[in-house]
Amino acid sequence: MTMKHIAKLVLPATVLALPLLFCAGAASALDLRETPGLEADLPPIAERVPLQPLVVDLAAKGRTVGQHGGTINTMIGRSKDVRLINAWGYSRLVGYDANLKLVADLLEAVEVEEGRIFTLHTRAGHKWSDGAPFGAEDMRYYFEDVASNEHLNPAGLEPFMLVDGEKPTFEVLDETTVRYTWSKPNPMFLPELAKSRPPFIYRPAHYLKQFHEKYGDPAEIEKLAEEQKVRGWAPLHNKQDDLYGAQNPDEPSLQPWIRTATGNDRRFVLERNPFYHRVDSTGQQLPYVDRVIMTVVDGKLIPAKTQAGESELQARNLSFADITVLKQGEAQQGYVTALWSNSKGSEMSILPNLTVKNPMWRELLRDKRFRHALSLGIDRQMINRTLYFGLGKIGNDTVLPASPLFKEEFRTKWAEYDPDKANALLDEIGLTETNSAGTRMLPNGQPLEIIIETAGEDSSQVDALELVSETWREIGVKLFIKPSQRDILRERAISGDLVMSVWSGFENGIPTSEMTPDDFAPVHGDRLNWHSWGDYYETKGEGGEKPDWAPAERLMELYSEWLVSTSEEQRTSIWEEMLSIHAEETIHIGLVSEVPQPVVIKDLKNVPLKAFYGWDPGAHFGLHRMDEFYFAK
Amino acid sequence: MTDARDTTHYVNPAPFNPIEDEVLTPEQERYYQASQWQIMWWKFKTHKLALWSGVVLILFYLCVPFAEVIAPYTPNTRDSEYLYAPPQALHFFHDGQFVGPFVYGQTSEVDLTNMKWVFTDDPNQVQPLRFFCFGTEYKFWGLFDANFHLVCPAEGGTMFLLGTDRLGRDQLSGLIYGARLSLTIGLVGVTISIVLGLFFGGIAGYFGGVADSLIQRLIEIMRSLPELPLWMALSAALPVNWSPVWIYLGLTIILGLLDWPGLARAVRSKLLSLREEEYARAAVLMGAKPQRVITRHLLPGFTSHIIASATLSIPSMILGETALSFLNLGLRRPSVSWGVLLNEAQNISVVTVYPWLMAPVIPIIIVVLAFNFLGDGLRDAADPYK
Amino acid sequence: MLDYILRRIITMVPTLLVISFLIFLIIELPAGDYISNQIAALRSSGEASAVAKLEFLRAEFALDRPFLERYLIWVGLWSGPHGFDGLLQGNWGWSFEFNKPVEEVIGPTLPMTIILNFTTILFVYIVSFPIGIYSATRQYSWGDYGFTFLGYIGLATPNFLLGLILLYLFNRWFGLSIGGLMASEYIDQPWSMGKALSVLAHLVVPTIVIGTAGTAAMIRRLRANLLDELHRQYVTTGRAKGLKERKLLVKYPLRMALNPFISDIGNLIPSLVSGSVIVSVVLNLPTVGPVLLSALQSQDQFLAGFVLLFVAGLTLVGMLVSDLLLAVLDPRIRLGGRAAS
Repeated sequence: MTMKHIAKLVLPATVLALPLLFCAGAASALDLRETPGLEADLPPIAERVPLQPLVVDLAAKGRTVGQHGGTINTMIGRSKDVRLINAWGYSRLVGYDANLKLVADLLEAVEVEEGRIFTLHTRAGHKWSDGAPFGAEDMRYYFEDVASNEHLNPAGLEPFMLVDGEKPTFEVLDETTVRYTWSKPNPMFLPELAKSRPPFIYRPAHYLKQFHEKYGDPAEIEKLAEEQKVRGWAPLHNKQDDLYGAQNPDEPSLQPWIRTATGNDRRFVLERNPFYHRVDSTGQQLPYVDRVIMTVVDGKLIPAKTQAGESELQARNLSFADITVLKQGEAQQGYVTALWSNSKGSEMSILPNLTVKNPMWRELLRDKRFRHALSLGIDRQMINRTLYFGLGKIGNDTVLPASPLFKEEFRTKWAEYDPDKANALLDEIGLTETNSAGTRMLPNGQPLEIIIETAGEDSSQVDALELVSETWREIGVKLFIKPSQRDILRERAISGDLVMSVWSGFENGIPTSEMTPDDFAPVHGDRLNWHSWGDYYETKGEGGEKPDWAPAERLMELYSEWLVSTSEEQRTSIWEEMLSIHAEETIHIGLVSEVPQPVVIKDLKNVPLKAFYGWDPGAHFGLHRMDEFYFAK
Repeated sequence: MTDARDTTHYVNPAPFNPIEDEVLTPEQERYYQASQWQIMWWKFKTHKLALWSGVVLILFYLCVPFAEVIAPYTPNTRDSEYLYAPPQALHFFHDGQFVGPFVYGQTSEVDLTNMKWVFTDDPNQVQPLRFFCFGTEYKFWGLFDANFHLVCPAEGGTMFLLGTDRLGRDQLSGLIYGARLSLTIGLVGVTISIVLGLFFGGIAGYFGGVADSLIQRLIEIMRSLPELPLWMALSAALPVNWSPVWIYLGLTIILGLLDWPGLARAVRSKLLSLREEEYARAAVLMGAKPQRVITRHLLPGFTSHIIASATLSIPSMILGETALSFLNLGLRRPSVSWGVLLNEAQNISVVTVYPWLMAPVIPIIIVVLAFNFLGDGLRDAADPYK
Repeated sequence: MLDYILRRIITMVPTLLVISFLIFLIIELPAGDYISNQIAALRSSGEASAVAKLEFLRAEFALDRPFLERYLIWVGLWSGPHGFDGLLQGNWGWSFEFNKPVEEVIGPTLPMTIILNFTTILFVYIVSFPIGIYSATRQYSWGDYGFTFLGYIGLATPNFLLGLILLYLFNRWFGLSIGGLMASEYIDQPWSMGKALSVLAHLVVPTIVIGTAGTAAMIRRLRANLLDELHRQYVTTGRAKGLKERKLLVKYPLRMALNPFISDIGNLIPSLVSGSVIVSVVLNLPTVGPVLLSALQSQDQFLAGFVLLFVAGLTLVGMLVSDLLLAVLDPRIRLGGRAAS
């Protein structure tokens, strides 16, 4: 690391709210080595990587230095999933490292002052996959010509760009530096950029300008629009500009693999990006693997095809139920079935709808004793054993031990199997009458029958509920399972007809205090357990209902505090209080977490055998740096 | 003939009485005086395969009203100790001694290297089956509680003759309960298609003219719509939040709605030819109303045909249900049908590990075959005078 | 002849029109449409910008109009938001799920669908023809029973399951890749010997699976027809006159029995097409089958509608071909001017 560099990074560190984000190593110390097998007309390696490439110290991560070459064949369930390559590649302006720390990735450095002034430095000499330079202009193009353009983006800036509805001031400082300034802290900004599906606040300006009203030739645009069967320049621009979806092979990218024009809707060939910004410590440019081929296969056939050895790296469309089959094929096909563990808060969670329309249910479901009784009436041990060979971890839907915020009580509170206590709680509520079948009677004279609706996508949810219904019977609660559909479930949550549903647990079970706690507060309208409150927040009071339940009000307050928080300690304490509210109130009734996710690995090195599998954070293979995987010859 | 060559022309001297000569043997008498249905039955009886198919079907249909009694468990009874348990072999002799039908008790453990449950027979645990016994409780027809079974496992023992599924539910009991939906879905569907077929075919065949050509066009259109994609489309249109009973009814109606054209065609062509028969003309000339002519004179003439072709279209409905349930477009748990059970065999490689999950195929094949043979036999018998 | 063909084709037009209406009715049956579902989902997740875009799309595809108008616009008999621009004008519609025109989505699958159905028909004829003749000439022999039984078994096994089993076995025994119509490395390659062989190898399972159901019915029909003919007096006469059995069989009875055999293609095609859809879904074949299923599930209405229409059209064409073949074989039909129904 050069002296100049350190100075630049250390200086603002004194005023930083965030931990310092920096890149390791420097190119000058490196002897760059040419990648074999590249097209001859490409410039040499030294001109392709940035002046300061991101140097990966594989040894420090316990990995080995690899070699170039090979093809990863993998299967996806539908052609839209080709976009996963951009999650798996996981090159972000800033991204999470294996310890879930935010570090600069595409950017050379980020400086944060007072939690509200963000200065972003791109790498000098960094190039798009077509060889054009990447820099401040691409960020400016996004902010001024895309995000702020009313035709391209009629709804205006996205929420993470707004603090109390206020837009940032955007400045270009020089060719590689831009600055976003808000008047108040915006802790959502950087975590948003690190998401598996990030907002892409940079766009390939040199390529997209030809479609933009402001820069392009109107006649040319009209002709192209005609060809693409779209009407007008804005739809054309939106169609061509698809950094995440990977639908336009012509659009340059910064990800490790880029889509080529070959292939069709059933087979996608993704070739290495020769201008990728990461190199290993021996000077080899990443990614190691030449290409990734994604074949679209019906989801039901994927386990069978994987077992037949047709995939080099497969986790998509494999579920716990396939493990036996996959293990069986190991010897014959020479692959390894690694068991990663799912990073969701819980594999599945029963969600009492706290904003249900029916007043009797509303009162009952908001009674914490009732929720506690339901939770205590579940034999999680038995569910774990029956469905997961006992390999999962039983407990509440909360953060996992791998998260720095974890506390044992979050997981265990009110989660043991204790039908006596549950019965006592239900008696205490006043549900003492029972009918001939032993089901308790509701105040309105109806038996206590709960209909739990499922999206019908995951058969193990139905299985688990079947097991839950057995032990609930003992506490006088009758459970009916109603397989439905995602959209219908949402509609019923919106109308308030939904009483209880089952869904997978909190998406992010391994949060750090830097990550937005939006899952834990009623701020999203698409949640099945508190739609009206979330809607109220999202529509700024126009729709939905104002939270009128003490724990929800407190969660709301905490969330608002987090949004303007400036220090890590403050954020940690906010997170901890939110988690303890969830544990104490049993807002989600979680069942089993850390369920193994089979990952089939064939001949690939540097793929961890034990790891977390999740979407956000995680990006499936992204967090584990798929660009460092290589084939042993 | 050799005699005729060398003898002179011979005339029987006995008097010839034509009435006496035409006297029927008792068999012939019986035959000529028998009703059409009786003759059909005689003819049908000669078709052994069809006869036995009929018997098999009756046995299967017994499961429909008495599933609770026949099945040793209910379809949702679980045994957490027996997940993916293989079929338990039925033994008769233990240590060289006859014990009667029994199974060995089993112990299960997880094999964590192969990630599967392993079951081992315990030769010391002899669990004789009990017959006409009291076992798992059920609600007979959903009306009253009972626990009487034809056969039960030993007290505290198990009896999974076709193995169990991933939650430890007995496959055999699933099949027996599943027969309820799978076997009736065809009947209800065929009833619907018979009613529609008779109605449209009857109108077309009897009145002819414009009505005929309109219905002909309609039939042609219906026939050129491929069945399965249409079933898929229609089942996708069934609201998923319907209760299982409604989904079931909806499916039968869909199956029936698309099946009638074949029947209508048969009815029409049969009517067309019967209408020209003398007895039908006579009835018309004597001033009978169309309704009377159709129901009194024409219908009996082709009822047998209708029954035969209806029989032949039941199996396609049974297969249709399995296909739809297999694609998750039909019935779903907690409803149990053969298609629903087969749905668990969807992942072909799971089937290689747990082959007994394929068990529902066996009754499906048997029932479909039986319906086909029965239909063939009925069709042959439908024209008893041929 | 030309006159007959013309007449036959003209009668297809109203049929197609009614079919298209029925299909449109069916795909519109589920509540809501793709876009309104998307809007509900997006609105609840707060992505207001996308909602505006989708509202625009709703108007763009005339989803906000009354049912009858939507239908006519789809067919191209009514002026939509962009004038007359429907099926008749060659616009097959827009797939919301894939976000591209329908022809681009199913274009590549159409040839495969036709190839698959064609080979299946071929298979059915090749297999059922000799077996049918054998069974009829050696009625009640072991061979007769054996083949009939095999045919029935094929009919009785749910063919999606048969497909899965064969797929697995072929993978085990011959190392054939599971599912698809060719090994995945050939998918985007130009045609070559290797690719053609790979396609042929992959066609075996689906052809057998789809074909078995039709074969049984075909054998049954050919056998019955031939038996009817063989019991005619001219056959007895011929035999009495010392005609050789082979000649006796081929000269007349077979020809007579062939007529219904060929006219049956009209019955065969709908069932094969039906079968191929579900088998394609299970075996992951790149035909219209899987596209149809996913389109139905996601209410991608124009896509589903077009696929259904295409399949129905295929059936109609099949029926036309069978009628024409019949007309060639049987002058009575050609001259009588009435299509055999």
